[in-house]
Amino acid sequence: MKINYIKGVLAGALAMAALSTGSQAATYDLTVDYVTIDTGDTKTTGIGYNGASPGPTLRFREGEEAVINVTNNLKEATSIHWHGLILPYQMDGVPGISFPGIEPGETFTYRIPVKQSGTYWFHSHSGFQEPDGAYGSIIIEPEKREPFKFDREYVVVLKDKHPHSGDRILRNLKMMPDYYNRKQRTLGDFIDDVGKNGLGATLSERGDWGSMRMMRTDIEDVQGFVGLINGMSPDQNWTGLFKPEERVRLRFINASAMTYFDVRIPGLEMTVVQADGNNVQPVKVDEFRISVAETYDVIVQPKDDRAYPIFAESMGRSGYAFATLAPREGMQAEMPELRTESPMLTMADMGMAHGDMGHGDMAGMNHGAAATDSGSQGSMPGMDHSNMGMGEKADPFYAAGSGLVPVAANGGKFLSYGDLKAQKPLYAERPATREIELRLTGNMERYSWSINGVKYEDAEPIRLKYGERVRFKFVNETMMTHPMHLHGMWSILDTGQGKWNPVKHTISINPGTTVYSETEVDEPGEWAFHCHLSYHMATGMFRKVVVEGGPTVTQLGNGN
Amino acid sequence: MPNVKSNFLTRLALSTSVIGALMTAPLAAFASPGHGQGHGSVAAEIGTPGKAADVTRTIKIVMEDNFFDMETIEVSAGETILFQIENKGEFVHEFNIGTAAMHASHQKEMMMMMEHGALDVDKIHMDKMKMDMGNGMTMEHDDPNSVLLEPGKTAEIIWTFPADAELEFACNVPGHYESGMMGKVRLKS
Repeated sequence: MKINYIKGVLAGALAMAALSTGSQAATYDLTVDYVTIDTGDTKTTGIGYNGASPGPTLRFREGEEAVINVTNNLKEATSIHWHGLILPYQMDGVPGISFPGIEPGETFTYRIPVKQSGTYWFHSHSGFQEPDGAYGSIIIEPEKREPFKFDREYVVVLKDKHPHSGDRILRNLKMMPDYYNRKQRTLGDFIDDVGKNGLGATLSERGDWGSMRMMRTDIEDVQGFVGLINGMSPDQNWTGLFKPEERVRLRFINASAMTYFDVRIPGLEMTVVQADGNNVQPVKVDEFRISVAETYDVIVQPKDDRAYPIFAESMGRSGYAFATLAPREGMQAEMPELRTESPMLTMADMGMAHGDMGHGDMAGMNHGAAATDSGSQGSMPGMDHSNMGMGEKADPFYAAGSGLVPVAANGGKFLSYGDLKAQKPLYAERPATREIELRLTGNMERYSWSINGVKYEDAEPIRLKYGERVRFKFVNETMMTHPMHLHGMWSILDTGQGKWNPVKHTISINPGTTVYSETEVDEPGEWAFHCHLSYHMATGMFRKVVVEGGPTVTQLGNGN
Repeated sequence: MPNVKSNFLTRLALSTSVIGALMTAPLAAFASPGHGQGHGSVAAEIGTPGKAADVTRTIKIVMEDNFFDMETIEVSAGETILFQIENKGEFVHEFNIGTAAMHASHQKEMMMMMEHGALDVDKIHMDKMKMDMGNGMTMEHDDPNSVLLEPGKTAEIIWTFPADAELEFACNVPGHYESGMMGKVRLKS
């Protein structure tokens, strides 16, 4: 069952679609249930769809109307948000913005005119149901032939399953922000550093970080999870079959609550053909970092008659997910060597973190290392011409000198946002009509996150005008990486490629950097806009976007 | 795919045909000086440019984004084919006849072309192609076994296939081969 799980799910979904009336609409029935999630090590009660977590893979066709009946079998309200889908705002599934939510026992019918194709996912937008297991995948078949060929495909959905419930995790983080951060520096580290750099330098460096109440290893808020692939832990070994020489399409989805993964398949190069559901000009890589809520579709061509490991190490190296690609059932790929050394943030990563850090004295701070970057726009894409075509190109989406810059485990190519170019631009190029600055802010001591220093409940909505092209300027004044997600409308990430800038729904902003994206405001209504790290979103890193003007929106409600 | 019978015989056959080809074919036809190094020792014969008079069949090849309209080409050993190639896509594409190894090394060359600005996704910059890469190598696509076409353009290749070889036709623009823009040449003896 496990090995043919995806095939079974797809067959089931196709059968459901076939039974629906006519070829114009596909109908799905989803129930939201309490489920047991068994990772082998731990058994927890979580939330799933149709009795399982992850939920099923829904298969839509571009051009049809997808009808999804959602029945809530929980004792609390629920919702489903279709991540990355362009649809009428009342169908977007955010309680308090799109609709009131789905009460216990109620059935809500979503009607979505499908106007796109690619890999997407869906999840609850209520409480911490998504970290607790309420997520599933969406495949939308295109109307026209895709610009790449493959012989078979698999959804590969990543999750950071924690033994604690989402509610419990937030309570602990509020009480003690480093509750789940295990990789703290020890006395042993101190002695090593003294040996390397001398006592004075080491004391001064520790003092700098200490005075900020920051830890250099503070890359992951929540450690202690088990990495899952398609709901299975490394021991449970999800396996996808292939015939040697076949082209296999892997639809990677990061459905995690808080964790970024560095993904590689030792022995296989991956050709990235889609990012966030949109075709990109194909680029060959050995490894890529997938933010929370992002998707990447890659083509691999395993040629040998052996098992290959699909390996995803968390960005902070505290956990990993593992699965196997094999020519036959019953095989398990060899586990690659783990990289256990946590990356360390540098002063460059704190380039703009001068804001509210919970302390007063800034005198002891050594800006030496950040001198090239602080206050400057050094992290803007497209500025690094010094290494054209030769040698290593610094990734412009990380602060110069950042400790987070990823390096491929085999020394090969690591994907950068700078490599993403639209295969076919979705919008004509034109200058933005105005710029809106969004400073990503937070107070680690109180575990409170915000935008422009203001939490969601205290903030005015962002008002956009239908028909304008707004340029968002994200300035990350925190030490953490934030995947920013705008609902309902595409974000054109500025990678310096002009009309070839890629179109995404989730954009990761690294510490100490400024990133720009543009949005053609072409969908009326009200939309959520937030950091997709669950506990950041919950504590205030969230805004409502109101689109003023545009066609009058009819009062769509339950199933109309 | 016809199998090679023995290593020795293969090498004997190949070296004979290589010497034969070098003696009979004009210099530019087999491998232009610019690409000589890239293909290393000619371990496999891929055929020769053909003469219009010998053409037995015409095969139309359509390039789209990013695939060819056919997956395999079937030819008889020694047959001369006229290929009429049209780029109906919005991107630059190549049609190149060779072995998988040749395509792999050509992909590296085309990656370099992009990095040096000689090739955009939808445009070929002829002036940059003539740039000297050092040791007399240029990036000009004047090999007889391949054409590089901008959107909307057409070209012809007349090619005489060898008796026996494992050949592929491919587009070596970065990323296209991996996306499936290639196919096998089936040689019927």
